[in-house]
Order: sequence, then structure tokens, then C-alpha cells
Amino acid sequence: MDHAAAQLEKQHVHDVYESTAPYFSDLQSKAWPRVRQFLQDQKPGSLIADIGCGTGKYLKVNSQVHTLGCDYCAPLVEIARRRGCEVMVCDNLNLPFRDQGFDAIISIGVIHHFSTKQRRIRAIKEMARVLVPGGQLMIYVWAMEQKNRHFEKQDVLVPWNKALCSQPLSESSQPGRKKQCGHPERSHPYHPPCSACRCPVCFKGRWDSRRSHSVDCDSALAGTCCANISKEGEEENGFYNTLGKSFRSWFSSRSLDESTLRKQIEKMRPLKNTESWANSTISTQPSRHSSFDLDHPEPFSTGEQNLDEEVFVETSQKHLEWLRAPATHKHLNGDHPRGVRRNGDGNFLGSTNTKENCMDAGNLEEGTPSASKIWRRISAADSKDSNPGDTISVEEQQSDILDSGAFMRYYHVFREGELYGLLKESVSELHILSSGNDHGNWCIIAEKKESCD
Amino acid sequence: MKLLTHNLLSSHVRGVGPRGFPLRLQATEVRISPVEFNPDFVARMIPKVEWAALLEAADTLHLVEVPKEPIQGYEHDESFLRQMHHVLLEVDVLEGTLQCPESGRLFPISRGIPNMLLSDEETET
Repeated sequence: MDHAAAQLEKQHVHDVYESTAPYFSDLQSKAWPRVRQFLQDQKPGSLIADIGCGTGKYLKVNSQVHTLGCDYCAPLVEIARRRGCEVMVCDNLNLPFRDQGFDAIISIGVIHHFSTKQRRIRAIKEMARVLVPGGQLMIYVWAMEQKNRHFEKQDVLVPWNKALCSQPLSESSQPGRKKQCGHPERSHPYHPPCSACRCPVCFKGRWDSRRSHSVDCDSALAGTCCANISKEGEEENGFYNTLGKSFRSWFSSRSLDESTLRKQIEKMRPLKNTESWANSTISTQPSRHSSFDLDHPEPFSTGEQNLDEEVFVETSQKHLEWLRAPATHKHLNGDHPRGVRRNGDGNFLGSTNTKENCMDAGNLEEGTPSASKIWRRISAADSKDSNPGDTISVEEQQSDILDSGAFMRYYHVFREGELYGLLKESVSELHILSSGNDHGNWCIIAEKKESCD
Repeated sequence: MKLLTHNLLSSHVRGVGPRGFPLRLQATEVRISPVEFNPDFVARMIPKVEWAALLEAADTLHLVEVPKEPIQGYEHDESFLRQMHHVLLEVDVLEGTLQCPESGRLFPISRGIPNMLLSDEETET
């Protein structure tokens, strides 16, 4: 199982990042403010590790600490190195560090790339091992519960749209980019290409229709994408109906549990023939608006989020409320149409006051930076998300999707409470300080317990 | 690769455990990259350093002699702090190898980047 899991990750995580590394751009990767704040809160002289650092956007956030960037992907690490960062290539599952060397660790958008629960636990335990007692670990993973897209299952393959990438990084373009990435959030008015458009149509590289994409995205048509497929209602259903039978089976598949995934992974061997994906119960997502972005060339999109109020506010002192709240869940997303299941721990984060927080958030209008505001994700009509027709037709692009050139990335998207439960049940050396949701990501901050065996 | 980084690295070849530290450093290309001196920063780093490993690495690179241990009152000794600043942060190994002292396994350093990936057979279970 582990070998098969490693194979899956090789094909749909490592190889993809390696192939797409040249297209990554500093401009287009967003640094999450809360992560930046976590780093800035660390004591001067701290030793920090960014496990899964990608191109290194967090490595220079705090000049008073020494941050070491680590990533499995050598090309990405090379990019970070060229920016002057101290980096190395290594494996999260086997961190090449002595015990208790780091004062803090961040793991942003990494754990969701591990395809089995065991590996995810292992990755977290490794990070705990190399933390000093009292040291803190921050983890971000993609949430299954999304406002603007719908994950049929937790184990998904997400296509990567090359059309949205920047030009391959060249030496001459470096200095310019460097200047700008100093202030990623305040850079020149950067109008992101419609990040919704990771649909197959866009994949064909319809650059000229980019503008119309933006328009569509800005409109009230959440979850829709290309101009041609943009209308809700019968057209989408029509599209759905034209999907090949095998693809339709993806969308109606049940969630993949561990054993099913295992069986599926076993079936995949060898993974050369990607047509087997068609019958897989791992769903392939036409990847639309990605509220989560690592070093993905797509920016932190504001396209579709124009629907909502501005959720992305500057951090202030008050955001620290979240960080210090003892395991208080401040997820303010409102209702999930599918009824989010709480895994395991019934007392998950005492979320009885979730609703109240929603109400409160509703009263906090723009211009008031606050913890609640930062947490807030205005939930649009979520029912939209569950419309299978929402997912963009892959029929035209069937060959593209099945083609290895489509760069499908594997994700295990996390349910609400899952990350928390994982740490609680399986990583006893960590004490959870706080957790919550940040723009479609489940986040946790945990501390290494003092007396360990 | 800075010596501060080297000081944290340990081999994770299966079965090696704590005997995988420190890695034996060999350098074929070293560069000195000036880094802004921050005495407080350096002073706070000192207690985190595994001193013997640092001595060994500095010696391999024929660096200015590093004291056997942090001197008394090092926090206020600017000359000591500057020396440590230089050794820990300004010496950059661009090309070389890191060797597991127990298994002999070599990890390459290329363009300043150590590559610590192991094959499946070599890693801990």
C-alpha cells in the first residue's frame, strides 16, 4: 500500500511540481497573512523550518529569525535559492534533521498531498520530532468544504492549467519580480486571470477570452467558468448530460474511504495508463476557483470572490484572538448543504457557537479588521456548489484530462475536524492551541509538549 | 548551504538513528556571502548550536579557529559574535558532499542546495 501510495504521489504530486516549476511566478503566489503573522510572532533568533516551502515565499518574512526552506521538488527549491534563501531538498516523511532543532515549523499546503492517513500522520510526527518542546507548528490544508467549488470526494485529482501560468522564469525577469514580491499583497494592481478558468476550455489556451472570463467570474455566476459554459441552469445540465458515461460516474461516486482508495491505488499499478482514472473512484476535479493556492501560478483570486464581501482583510492585532483562542473553532462559513460530518471527536472545537459567530460576523462590516472578519467566509448559496452540472464538462478535453500532460495534482481534501482529529488521535506529542478555517483551508497551530518520551 | 544548516542536518538512513549526526562535510566550492550582522540574532543562535559539529565542519573548511565552546559572557563579546556570525551565516558551501558517519551514504550539495532524498530502500520504516 505504501509503495502504491508513493507511486501515486510521485505521478500526481512530485512530477507535476517538477514539470510546472519553471512556470511559477512570485507574483502569482499569495502569501497567507496569517502565516506571515505566525512567522513574525516568533522570537528573534528562532530557528524555523518551512516544510514544503516551494519557491520560498515565506522564507524571508521575518529577518530576525533563521528560516530553512525544505521541499521535495528540486526545481522549486532552485527558484527559492536564486532568491537568496537557504533551502534544501528533502522528504517530509523522513526529515533529515536531528531531534528538537527547530523553534517553529510551518507546513502550508503540504499534508493534503499525502495519499494515505498513515503518511499524513507520519509527516506530522516527523515535524513534531524536530521541534523543540514548546515549539509551535502551523499546518494549512485544503478544505473539502468550499464555497465556490464542490469536491465530490476527499481524494481528488485537480488539473493544472498551464494557460494561466506566467512565462517561464528567466534571469532577466528576476530582479523585477523580486522587487514586487517584497509586498505581495500591495503590489501593483494585479488583475488575476480568472482563476476559475482551470476548466478544460481554458486549458486550450483561449487567452483572448480571458477578459470575458473575468467578467463572468465577477458576475453572480459563481462556480461557472468559461464564457461558453457560463450560464447556469439548463445549459449546464445539458453539459452534464453530454458528459461521457465514465466521467459522469466520477461525479456521482461516493466518497472514497481508506480501503476503497487502497484498492484503487492497487488497481492503478502500473500508473502509466492513465485511462484507468476514468473508472477510478478518485474524482478528477475540473479545477475552478481555487481558494487555496500554494505556489500555484494562479493568484489568490478575487475574481469569484467579488460575489462576497471582502474577506481578505489586513491583519491587525485582533487577529491574534484566533491564534490564542484555546481550540475555539471560529469557522464562520454558515451552512454546508451536505451537512459537514464531524469526524471522531464529538467535542470538536466546541463549535456550538459557530452560528452565533456567523451572526456576529454579519454585524461587522467592512473596515473593521477583526478576528471574526478574517475568519469569515460569506457563504453564497451553497446549494449551487452541489450541482453536478457546476463542474465543468471534461468531454471535449477528455483526452487532455487523461493525458499525462494535463498535470493532474493529487489532493486529499480535509473535512472539517479531520485535521484536528488526526492530531488529537495520532500525534500525542502535540498539543493543539487553535484551529479554524482560512479561505478554504483548515488550519491548525499546535505546540510540542514539554515532556516527551 | 550555511554551517548553521549543516548543524541541524542528520542522516535518516534506516537504522542509523542518532548516530547519523553530524554529517561529515566535504566541500569543493565555498563562497563567502556577506550577511548583515545582527548581534542579538547571533547571540540567540549560539545556545542552539551543537558545538562539536560546528567545530568539525569549520575545521574541514579550514576556517578561522572557532573556540572549543562559547566563551563566558559571549552575549556581549562583539568580536566573538562577529566571528560566529561569519562562520554560521556567511560561509556558503556551494558544491560538496555530506556523509552519513554511520552508513557512509553520501548526500550531494549542488548550487548551494543539499539534497537529502533517499531511495525507498534506504529510508527508515
